[in-house]
Amino acid sequence: MNRFGLFSLTAPIVHLIGLIVLVALAMAGLAGTEFALSRYLANAIGQLAAFAVLAISLDLIWGYLGILSLGHGLFFALGGYLIAMYLLKHSFEITGTVPDFLQFMGWKEFPFYWDGFEFFPYALAAAVVITTLISGLFGYVSFRSRVGGVYFAIITQALVYVAMLLMFRNDTGFGGNNGMTGFTVLFGWPMGTSGMITALAVVSLLVLAGVLAGCNGLVKSRFGALMLATRDDETRLRTMGYETLRLKLIVWCLSALIAMLAGMLYVPQVGIINPRVLSPELSLEIAVWVAIGGRGHLVGAVIGALLVNAVKFWLSFAAPEIWPFILSGLIVLVVLVFPNGLMDLAKFKLMRPMGPKRLAADMGEARP
Amino acid sequence: MSLTALLVDGLTVRFGSFRALDELSLAIDYGEVRAIIGPNGAGKTTLLDVISGITRPKQGRVLFDGAIDLTGLSEAAIARAGLRRKFQKPSVFEGLSVRQHIAIGADVGFRTRLDAPALEDRVGEVLEIVGLVDQSHRLAGELSHGQKQWLEIGMVLASDPKVLMLDEPVAGLTDEETERTAALVRALKRPDRAIVVVEHDMDFVERIADRVTVLHEGRTLFEGSMDKVRADAAVVEVYLGR
Amino acid sequence: MKLARFVLFLVGLVAGGPLLAPTARAQALDRAGLIGNLCGNASAMGEAAAVLTGLAMSGDAADRAFAVPLARAVIDRKLACDEAGAVLTESGLDAVTRAPRPAAGEARTPVLSLKNRATYELADAALALRAAPEPAQRAAALKTLERRPALIPEGLLDAAAASETDAGLKADIETLAQTAALNAADPAARIRALARIADTPSRRALTKVSALTTDPAYAASPDFRAAVDDATLRIERGIAIGDVLATLYNGLSFASILFMAAIGLAIIFGLMGVINLAQGELIMIGAYVTWLVQQGLRVAAPSLLDWYLVLAIPVAFFVTAAIGIALEASLLRHLYKRPLMSLLATWAVSLFLMNLVRVVFGTQNLQFETPFYVTGGVPVIGDFIFTWNRMFAIAFAIVTLALTWGLVRRTPFGLNIRAVTQNRDMAACIGIPTRRVDMMAFGLGSGLAGLAGLALSPIYSVNPQMGQNFIIDAFMVVVLGGVGTIAGTVVAALGIGQINVLIEPLWGAVAAKVIVLLMIIAFLQWRPEGLFAVKGRRK
Repeated sequence: MNRFGLFSLTAPIVHLIGLIVLVALAMAGLAGTEFALSRYLANAIGQLAAFAVLAISLDLIWGYLGILSLGHGLFFALGGYLIAMYLLKHSFEITGTVPDFLQFMGWKEFPFYWDGFEFFPYALAAAVVITTLISGLFGYVSFRSRVGGVYFAIITQALVYVAMLLMFRNDTGFGGNNGMTGFTVLFGWPMGTSGMITALAVVSLLVLAGVLAGCNGLVKSRFGALMLATRDDETRLRTMGYETLRLKLIVWCLSALIAMLAGMLYVPQVGIINPRVLSPELSLEIAVWVAIGGRGHLVGAVIGALLVNAVKFWLSFAAPEIWPFILSGLIVLVVLVFPNGLMDLAKFKLMRPMGPKRLAADMGEARP
Repeated sequence: MSLTALLVDGLTVRFGSFRALDELSLAIDYGEVRAIIGPNGAGKTTLLDVISGITRPKQGRVLFDGAIDLTGLSEAAIARAGLRRKFQKPSVFEGLSVRQHIAIGADVGFRTRLDAPALEDRVGEVLEIVGLVDQSHRLAGELSHGQKQWLEIGMVLASDPKVLMLDEPVAGLTDEETERTAALVRALKRPDRAIVVVEHDMDFVERIADRVTVLHEGRTLFEGSMDKVRADAAVVEVYLGR
Repeated sequence: MKLARFVLFLVGLVAGGPLLAPTARAQALDRAGLIGNLCGNASAMGEAAAVLTGLAMSGDAADRAFAVPLARAVIDRKLACDEAGAVLTESGLDAVTRAPRPAAGEARTPVLSLKNRATYELADAALALRAAPEPAQRAAALKTLERRPALIPEGLLDAAAASETDAGLKADIETLAQTAALNAADPAARIRALARIADTPSRRALTKVSALTTDPAYAASPDFRAAVDDATLRIERGIAIGDVLATLYNGLSFASILFMAAIGLAIIFGLMGVINLAQGELIMIGAYVTWLVQQGLRVAAPSLLDWYLVLAIPVAFFVTAAIGIALEASLLRHLYKRPLMSLLATWAVSLFLMNLVRVVFGTQNLQFETPFYVTGGVPVIGDFIFTWNRMFAIAFAIVTLALTWGLVRRTPFGLNIRAVTQNRDMAACIGIPTRRVDMMAFGLGSGLAGLAGLALSPIYSVNPQMGQNFIIDAFMVVVLGGVGTIAGTVVAALGIGQINVLIEPLWGAVAAKVIVLLMIIAFLQWRPEGLFAVKGRRK
C-alpha cells in the first residue's frame, strides 16, 4: 500500500471492478443454459469491454499525464493486426484455408515476416516488442524535444493517418484495403460458436477488470502522484530533480501496450481488421469517449466508452446516418456544458473528482 | 567545501536582439542571504532560469561549489545536485495534496528511498516550518495565494538544498504573511547554504539580506549592503527613485 | 516556341524551296500553261503535278483555291481536254477561267500513268490538307499522306501545321512532319530534320530519333551518325530540364494549395492556440460555394458563366468567414484556455459540416465548368506543360499571400492581431478589444480556407470528404512553420509541397507522406518550436 491515499472499499472504482467480474462470472456460469445471453448480446458486451480497455489507455495519458494522443488507434490496430496474423496462420495450419488476400495478390505462400505467427506466444511477444519499440521511439523523440499539447496531438494524428495510407497498400503483405478476415480457429477451437463468443467476452471483461485494477494501483501510487505533478506543472517537477522524460515515456509506452491489448481482444470478436481502424476519426472518437466519461477518472473513461458505443451500436441499426450528427452534438454539449463529462453529472458525490471543478476543467492543458 | 556556492562568470543570454543578461558576473557565498533587485527586465528571473537550467546561455558559465558547471546540466540534474528554486508565479500541483507536495520534494525518485517513518518525520517537520500542518490533506488548488507561496517554499525546502533560490516570495502577501516569510528565510540561513532572493519589496529585502546585488539591463549596477544600496546615486536613479 | 518554329519554317522554305519545287517560286501562276500540261503527255503531266504540290506548299491562297479541284479531277477522270483548254466535267466549269461552258468539240480525258497516279494522289492530298474547308476532309488527306512519308515534300507539313486551326489535327500534322523529314531520301534533309526535332524535345521525339540508330545510314554515314547522337543528347537534356521544371511547377502549385489551406490555420493557432480541425471542411465549403455560384450564373447570367471562378471569390470568402465567426462566437470563445478541448470541439464541427454537405448534396464529385483561362497550357520544354489551372492556383496563392501580409502588417486590424498574438494580457490592458480581434481573425482564417477551396476546385475533385485530404498536410505546415508566422507558413508550405512532389515519382505518394512526417519529427528535434519561433523566458 502507498502513503498517498488509501484504497477505500466504498470507492466507485472498486464497485465497478466488482460489477465487471460479476458479469463475467455470470456469463461464464450461465453459458449453455437457457439463461445464457444471446450470441449478439454476448458479442456486443465483449466488444464494449475491449473499447473500455482502449478508453482506459487514453485516459491514462490524457487524464493523468495531460498528453492528448489523437493517434491511439495506431496501437489498437497494431494489436489487432498481429492477433489477426496469428489467427490466419493458425487457421491455415489447421484447416489449410489460404487467406483471401494472398489469393488476391496471387501469392503462393505467406511472406517471410509471417514466420512463427502460428505460435501464440510468439505473436504476443511480437506485439509487445513492436508496440514498445514504436511507442518508445516516437515518445522519446517527441518528449525529448518537449513536443506537447496541441503539437503532440496533431503529430500523433498525422502518424495514424500515415499508417492508414501504408496499410491501404496491397503489396505490404498485411491484407491491403480489404484487411484480414476469415478467422476460423482460435487455440485449436472453432470460432463463431456461442461458446467461443461467450469465452471471448468473458476474457475481455476479466482483462478489463485487471487493467482497471492495475491502473488504479498505478495512479494511486507515488508514481501516480508524480504523473499528476507532471500534468499540472512539468517544469516545476523537473526543477525538483525528477526526469519527467522517463516518467512520460514509461506511461506512454504502458498506455500504448494497453491499447494494443484492447486491439487483441477486439479483432477476434469482430472477425475482421482493416485499415479503417487506423482512420484519424476512430482515434478522435476514443478521445470523445474519455471526454464524455470524464478525464482523469478511470471509472469515467469506462462509462464513457460503454455509453457512446452502446448508443452507436443501437443507432447503427436504427438510423446510421444520424450518428455523426448525434456524436458532434454530444461533443459540443460535453465541451461547453460539462467540461468534466459525466463527472459533472455526478454531483451527488458518487464519484469524487480529482480536483476542484475549475482545475479539473483545465487540467493538462498546458501551453504547447 | 569551497566558500563560494555560486560563481556566475560572463553570462550572456539573448532573446532575439534583446540582451537579457550581458556578460554578467557575480559570486554568492555559502552562509549568506543574497538579495537580487532591479527594475523589470533587468534580468533577475533570467539569471535564476540559467542557474536552474531552464534557459541555456549564449556564453559564460555558472560554477556550483567551485567545480560543477551548471550550464550543461539538465534541470533535474541541477536540482539533484542540491539547488532548488521557488518560481515567481506560485507553481504547485493543483491535483495533489499538500502532504504529497512535501513528500515529492523531500525524496527524489519514482520510488521512495527514505524508509516510511523517516519520510513521515521529514514531511511533518517541513509542514511545521511552513505552517501548513492543518492543511496537509487539502488539495493545493484549494489553497490561498499565501499558502501556495509557502507550500512551494516548503516543497523546495524539504530536500535540504545547498542553494535555495526564491523568486519574489512575498509578492501578493499581506504584511503579516510577509513578516512570517521574512522570519522563515532568516531561520533557513545556515553556514552550508546559500539563499538567493529576488524581490521588489525593499523593506523585506532589508530585513533578510546580508548583501544586495542590483541588476540593470543585464549587468551588475551595484553590490553591497542595503544601506549602501540606498545611498548609491545610480541605484536611486534607475530603480529606487527619490 | 511558336515563333521559333515559324522562323525555322521560313528558313526551311528559303533553303529547301529552290531545290525541291522550283516552280513554286514563280511570281505568278501560269494557269493556262498548267492546264495545258495537265492535258499533255506523261512528262508534262508530271511537271503539272509538281506545280500543284508546290502550290499546296507555298503558293498564294487564290492560286491554291484554283488548284484544289484539279488533281482530284484528273484522278477521277473528270477533266475533259478540248481545243479551248479543258472543262471540269463535274461542275461544268472551264478549268482556267472557272466560267461555265460545255466541252467543245472532241474532248479527251487524260489518263494517268502508274508513276503519275502516285504524284497526283500526293498533290491532291497536299492541296486538300491545306485548303479543304472541313477538318474531317483535312484529316482524311493527312491519312493519305501518312502512307508515303518519304514522298512528302519538305515544308508542306510545316505550312499545313502553321495554318491548321484544329488543335488535334495540328498535333498529328506535326508528328507526321517529323517522321517524314526523318525518313526523307535526301541525307541532308534528314540531318536538318534531326536538328529541328532536337529543338522541341519530348519523349516521343526521343523514341523516333533513337529508332534511327538501327537505320543503315547510321552505320554508313558518319555525318548522319553524329547528327543522330547529337540530337539524342539534346533531346535527353531537354527532357531532363522539362522534368525538373515540371516537378518544380507541380510542387509549386501543390505548395500554393497547402499554403492557402494552412495560412488560416496558422493565424488562428498563433492567436488563440487553437488548431481548427474543421479547416478542411471550410475548404470544402469554399469549393461548394464556388460550385453554387457557377450553378447560379448558369441560370441567371449564362454569359458570365466563364467568369464564375472570379465572381465566386468574394462569395466563398464571406460565406466561410461568416461560418468561422459564428463558430468562434458560439463555441470556441468558451474553450479559450483549453486548447485540447477545442481540438475535440472543432472536430465535432468538422464531422457536422461534412455530414451536412453529404446529406444535402450527396457524396458524388461536383462537376465544374473549365473556363478558358484555366484550360490547356503552353508546352515549354520536354514534357513540361505550363498548365493554366495550376498557374491559377499559384497566382491565387501569391495574391492571397500579398493581401494577407498587407492586412497583418499594414492595417490597424493586423496590428491588433499581432499585438494579441504576442501578449494577450498586455494587449487587453492597452485597450485592444481582444475578443473582437479573436472573432475577426477567426473569420479571416476561415475565409482564407474558403478561398483555398475555390483555388483548388479547377485541379482536384470536389466532394464532402475532400477536406480530409488537405488538413493533415496543412497541420504539418503549421507545425513546421512555427506558431502564427506568415513567413514560416510560406517556407514550410514550399518545403513540404516540393518534397512531396519530389518523392512521389520515386517511391509513391504514400512513401512521400511517410517521409515528410518523419522529416518533420526529426526537424522538431532540432527546432521544437518550428522554423520561425519567437523566443522568450518562461512566464
